[in-house]
Amino acid sequence: MSIDFYWRLPTHGCHNSIQTSGYERGDWSPLRPGNIAPGLDREGDADPFTYIDHLAAIAQAAESVGFQGGLIPSFPNTDDPWVISSLLARETKSFRFMIAFQPGFGNPVHTARMAASLQRATGGRLLFNIITGGGGPAQLWWGDSFAHDDRYGRTSEFLDIFKGVWKSSDFSYDGRFYQLRDGGLAPVLQGEEFPEIWFSGSSDAALQTAARHADYYLSWLEPFDQLGDKFARVKERTATLGGEQKCAVRVDLVARATEEEAWADIARGFDNVSEETRQRWRGQATDSVGAARQAALRPTDARRYDELIVAPNLWGGFNLLRGGPALGIVGSYEQCAARLDELIARGTDAFILAGTPHLEEAYRVGEEVLPLLGRQAPALLAAAE
Amino acid sequence: MTLNIHWRLDPAADPQRSEPGAWRPLPALARDRRTSTQNRFDYYVQVAQAAAQTAFDGLFVRHRIAADESRIIAAIVARAAPRLNVVPEFPASVGSAVYAAKQATTFQRATHGRLAWAIAHDAEATDRLAEADSVKDGDLSQRLEEFLTVARGVHEQRPFSYKGAHFEVKNGGFDAPLNRVPFPRIYLQGEGEAALALSARHADVHLFQPATAEALANDIARLNALAKGCPVEAGLIQPLLVREDRESAERDAQRLPLAPGTLIASYDEAAERLAGFAASGITQLVLEAVPSLEEAYRIGQHLLPRLRALTGVAQQAA
Repeated sequence: MSIDFYWRLPTHGCHNSIQTSGYERGDWSPLRPGNIAPGLDREGDADPFTYIDHLAAIAQAAESVGFQGGLIPSFPNTDDPWVISSLLARETKSFRFMIAFQPGFGNPVHTARMAASLQRATGGRLLFNIITGGGGPAQLWWGDSFAHDDRYGRTSEFLDIFKGVWKSSDFSYDGRFYQLRDGGLAPVLQGEEFPEIWFSGSSDAALQTAARHADYYLSWLEPFDQLGDKFARVKERTATLGGEQKCAVRVDLVARATEEEAWADIARGFDNVSEETRQRWRGQATDSVGAARQAALRPTDARRYDELIVAPNLWGGFNLLRGGPALGIVGSYEQCAARLDELIARGTDAFILAGTPHLEEAYRVGEEVLPLLGRQAPALLAAAE
Repeated sequence: MTLNIHWRLDPAADPQRSEPGAWRPLPALARDRRTSTQNRFDYYVQVAQAAAQTAFDGLFVRHRIAADESRIIAAIVARAAPRLNVVPEFPASVGSAVYAAKQATTFQRATHGRLAWAIAHDAEATDRLAEADSVKDGDLSQRLEEFLTVARGVHEQRPFSYKGAHFEVKNGGFDAPLNRVPFPRIYLQGEGEAALALSARHADVHLFQPATAEALANDIARLNALAKGCPVEAGLIQPLLVREDRESAERDAQRLPLAPGTLIASYDEAAERLAGFAASGITQLVLEAVPSLEEAYRIGQHLLPRLRALTGVAQQAA
């Protein structure tokens, strides 16, 4: 068995450290001395670097320590993963671009053409994290007025067509949302490998669509028992449909030489969180089942960081320190590796890891944690519990 | 007004160039060191760098369903050719206008604002059906109008709401830092009053097909009349077959397939003709010839200096 490890490209700027709330990398915070991409030149003007230059550095770091590639998330105020992948195609060597994409945003044939073009440009380094959930006001922000379960129907049809035209010149389809006759990619575009599909979403509609289309079912980290059950359910459901489903987790790590250092960094980060951020933490309207599952985890009024420790090495306050899921792993290099081993034992076939700052932590996790994997360290885990 | 001169890359032209599947095998005596990492995009990048090095202002990338997608090509060559403006051409059937505009912000942010959009003609009905585009003939211009309205709307206004027949947005609009870059300049094309009127409402530049200077001057006057207060620049797409002297150009014209309206001329004659267009009010030229790479060098090195000398003088005289 081999496990694929991916990193993440932060598409909404990056912090210098998990303890700071400003975005010192990129232009999401006001430009100050010490900022990079852009930075300030000797005259105090913005230098010519832009955030893509920093993303290039992160991608190059990730590929150099052995990550397969990285997830490139897409939200209203992020940079776009298609454009990032194209811009970085020629300055990375093995880095695989995992584009987060909502199928409703593109015509399926044109999107297949874009994907095949990127495969040709990168030597087949493209894959997709297909997203359908989100929903609520955010969906209308994007100009998408479809209801939740309709969006899954549309995603399913989109992927039928995407796959249908990939190696065909006369594919026809008569669906609820899309119709086409005798369509397909040009012969010169047909030689490419079909991109892996990673699927997110925790609702019944999502699981059903994933069973039909996904190579990987991708989840945020949840408490290990809960996650293990979910993966078992997903694999079982796919098996009854005659398919096979791999499961993947995306999780942030705070890995340090010792467990004490790791928690000390979390504690300082927690104490730096503003009251405004705490208020925002209480959540926004969504019809995403995945977001609701995470929201159910969080105590509303934690005063100390250790009130949010939900299990050994498992901390539920990451979304206070940066955007994204609440749960993450905190511990020594050995403990982090052991927790990942534990997740593998519970059915995880691939990981999207991340840490802040993404550049330095790509090196740290790649150099200090990944080499310790597969040692099955029960003694360490028992010590922590 | 300064004359902007673009080169036009047709990704479907020279299809064997740098296409790994179309490599001609070398004879056994020649050791072949080509690797699997070489690909078609090497050629697109070469053409872009040729255009940049010969002082073109920008590179148009044609929409071709038989070849690689134009916006992917545009991003890749923009990163490889600093300072060159890039203008991918694509139809309004690509999908969400919000998403297209969002992608444009990343492009603009990463390239210091070097992106423009050229909107392609919609395909015929049967070809649209092959593209999973089921919009009816009579609704195409409405869709394009909505596409451009929504794309610019979410870029420039917040909150932005819109409910049309093809696009709907509620409380949309980009926030900082995405909205700090300019919206891409819009190039539209098309013949007839309706196309000109659409350009008057939405375009920064209307692109005309090859015509005589008189005909162009007429069209430009119509465009200006429709545009009233907010002027639209006039551009010309001009295929070329130019050589050192007219005889060589005419000789080569006999054995090369030519696009309609190709200007067959010596460098000096072509420069004069294009300067004449500029005098008629054309401010943007989109030049093309095949093979894209060699002709970019030829035209960039021989024609552009002559043309710029003429239009520079004309400007001083005016």
